[in-house]
Parts: sequence; structure tokens; C-alpha cells
Amino acid sequence: MFTLGSVLDNELKSSVEDFSFETEFSTNQLMLPNIEKPFEFAQSIISLEKDLDENDNQPMFHQQKKEERKERALIKGSKGTTTLAFIYEKGTVVAVDSRATSGQYIASQSVQKVVPVNQYMLGTLAGGAADCQFFLGHLGRICNLYELRNNEKISVAAASKLLNNILYSYRNYGLSVGSMICGYDTRGPQLYYIDSDGSRLKNSLFSVGSGSPFAYGVLDAGYRWDLSKEDAIDLGRRAICAATFKDSYSGGTVKVYHIDENGWVKISDDDASELWYRYEEKEKKNK
Amino acid sequence: MDSLVGFVGKNYVLMAGDTNAGRSIMRLKDDFDKLVQVDSHKILAKSGEIGDGNQFCNLIIRNVSLYRINNETELTTKSVAHYTRRQLATAIRKNPYSVNLLLGGYDKKDQMGSLYYLDYLGSSKKINYGAHGYAALFVGSILDRFWKEDLDFEEGLELMKKCLREVEKRLIIGTRCFVIKMINSDGISVVEKVMINSEKKNEIEEEN
Repeated sequence: MFTLGSVLDNELKSSVEDFSFETEFSTNQLMLPNIEKPFEFAQSIISLEKDLDENDNQPMFHQQKKEERKERALIKGSKGTTTLAFIYEKGTVVAVDSRATSGQYIASQSVQKVVPVNQYMLGTLAGGAADCQFFLGHLGRICNLYELRNNEKISVAAASKLLNNILYSYRNYGLSVGSMICGYDTRGPQLYYIDSDGSRLKNSLFSVGSGSPFAYGVLDAGYRWDLSKEDAIDLGRRAICAATFKDSYSGGTVKVYHIDENGWVKISDDDASELWYRYEEKEKKNK
Repeated sequence: MDSLVGFVGKNYVLMAGDTNAGRSIMRLKDDFDKLVQVDSHKILAKSGEIGDGNQFCNLIIRNVSLYRINNETELTTKSVAHYTRRQLATAIRKNPYSVNLLLGGYDKKDQMGSLYYLDYLGSSKKINYGAHGYAALFVGSILDRFWKEDLDFEEGLELMKKCLREVEKRLIIGTRCFVIKMINSDGISVVEKVMINSEKKNEIEEEN
């Protein structure tokens, strides 16, 4: 129904001939069905779980449609996953699980939830897999073009802002993206949280997904700026492990990445359930 | 869930906002500044959705800068309020911005501060004191009772802390950290980044 791919290809073509910054990065050209009110049609068939709860700050006419939307919802989005990232003295640690669920069915236990944007930046995936994969891949293309045109590496702040502007222009179209842009640039380790609602937040640690409250618990308890590299990686791994233990929508394998001035490196890839019992054994031995 | 409070004093405007940024039940960031600088003597305090707030305030700030570059003159607070209101009003039936704003500014020509209350529906009113969010429920009556014309800076700061203490005490959602900013003839200054702890018998701790 939405043919995002062909629209954005046209933009890339036009950007080769025309070096203007605007034509390349302005993307509000989503193709919609040829009916009288395409925007309302798009809204009426898409429902996100948060729309089913109380709406604050929504204009009145949106609220009137809410009941209709609940009944006619054909596409549902939810962020069943756990991803986390944090920055510390020596770099950025990114840890994710690898389970994809569709309702109560586990669709896959080996999903790649970390998408490399370039050699020193990673994007994480939460929400709609297709949306995240597409937009993070597109961000990678834009960042590459930026480097070729300006002969310098794009900063994490700029890359996250580009993604933010794109997602903001699609904000009422039912996309579901809860991504973190993590990297290391001239300002040091950087971390931004980007949402399909259009928010962009900078902080030293984030966790996104249905398992994020569980991950936050372990992360907040163990986080310090001056962690050593092994401790930081272990903290990330333990936090995801805790989330997979408690949250049924998270599981599979726990993948941990580390980003420093030399770029990103995949540190480990462990089965979540085995990892839990391995930690338990370690605790018993320590006692 | 955002709390914004502002009022006008003797040749200054005092504004405060909480520093929480959250998503459903979770606090994602606890040092999120909602009082953005428009130019040297104006602050736009934003509440509502984070994305809309960021993008809309960016739009206003850049257009105010553009006007200054094109016309080599600063806009008055009244003009910025009217421009902002118009942007909100034209968007409401097409692509609404879910942001409620308080615009505070000091005009050198009039030598006084002014505060405007702007709504996501495109309403705008010049006010002496006001608030957005849940804080408005608690703080409205305090400001009605205790605000008067030409408050000194110390009196004003005490009134602001009284308001923030009440927000912390009665709002079930934990908003303890606030940032208070002042606009006067010298420009914008951060008065305090307060963390209010009402358990400690109404004492207020200062951060930094």
C-alpha cells in the first residue's frame, strides 16, 4: 500500500543532479491512495497500541475517530523487544535481544536489531522491523553521501537530526520506530533516542522496548561514567539478560557491541537463556 | 504531564519548567530543558509532545532570526506571540502541532517584561501570570492569591518556589526537578536548577 522505496529512489536520483540540501532530505512525498481524503484513510486503518489508551493533547476531531479506528484496525504496531545503549568514559555500549513476535507467536529468535549506519555509528531497532530497517538503511545512504560531499565524517548529532526530520514529516502515517543512534565522533561518545512521534533526546543511557523497564533497573543500578570496558560490556549484557528473563516479548540471543574512536565492534552473541544460568552459576561460585 | 509556570514582575519575567522527558510511564531524561531561547530577551516554554515541541520551536526561532537578519531589527514579544499564534492556527486543521507554550520576553523599548499564553488550538493572550499542564490546576490559585504588580526579584523567586513546592507536593507524578529562568534588561539568565524535596519539611535543595 505504501510504496516508500520508489519514492525515496526518485529523491536519490534527483539529488545526483541537484546538489541542493533540501531536495535530498525533504521526504514528505509518501504515496497515498487516490481518494478524497487520503490522510484520514491512512489514519483509519492504522492503530498503534498507544492510540488505544487515553489521548492527552490530541485535538478533538482525532479523538472522535479513535473509536472507529479501534474497530477497523488492520495494522498493529508494538515495541516488543529490549534494546539498550549507554555512553561512558571509553565509548558507547549497545546491547540488544533478538526476538521478533507477532502477537503471541514468536516469529523469529534471530533478528538483527542493530543496523550499522556507518563504521562508527550504529542504529538500534524497536517497533516495526520494516520501518526501522528501511529508515536506518536510508540514514546510512544519506550519511555516506554527506561524507562524499563534505569530505568529513558526519557527526552523530547531525545524523540523528536528519533521521528525526524525516520521521517527523511522516509522524501521522502510522510508522513505528523507536531507534537509538549510537556512535563516537569528535565530541566523544554520543547517544540519541529517535522516535516515530518525532522526538529526539540526548542522554547518557537509554533503553527502548517492552523489556526496557527491566533493563533500566539493572542499568541504573550499575551505571557509572568511569566504568572499565569489561565492566561496561558486562553491564549491558546483564541488563538485556534480566529483561529477557522477565519479559516474554524479549529473548533469543543477547548481542553486545562496543563503539570507540576506532569504530564499532561486535563483542559477543550469547543465547539469552543459557546466559542467565551461566550468571547464576557464577554467583554461586562467588559465594 | 509537563509543568510550566510563568509570571511578570518589576522589569523582569520569571519562568519555570520541569525537566522531565518521558514516554508513557517511564522517565527517559531528567535534565530536559523546556525553556528554549528565542533570542537574547525571549524565552519560549514548550509543553506537550516532544517532537512537535522541538520542531515547532525551531521553526519559530529560525524565522525570528531570519527576520532579524533581513530587517536588522529585533522583534517585540508581542510580534513574536502573534507570529507564533498564527503558525499554530494555520496548522490546526491540517497538521496540528500538539504544543502549549508560554512566551516570555523583555522589550527594551517599553522597558518592561511581558508574558503570553499560547495554546495548541491557536489561542493567544497576554497575561500577568499563568501555567500549563497539570501545574496549572495547583498553581493557578496560588498565583491568584499572592501575585501583585511590581514584585521584586526576591519576592518573585519566593512566589515561584511556593508554586513549584505545591506542584511537587500534590502532583502524583513525580516532578521534583525544575529549572527557573529570568528575563530582564540584561537578557536571559538561569536562576536555579532546583530539586524540591518536600519530605524534608518544605526545604528546597539547590543543585549546583
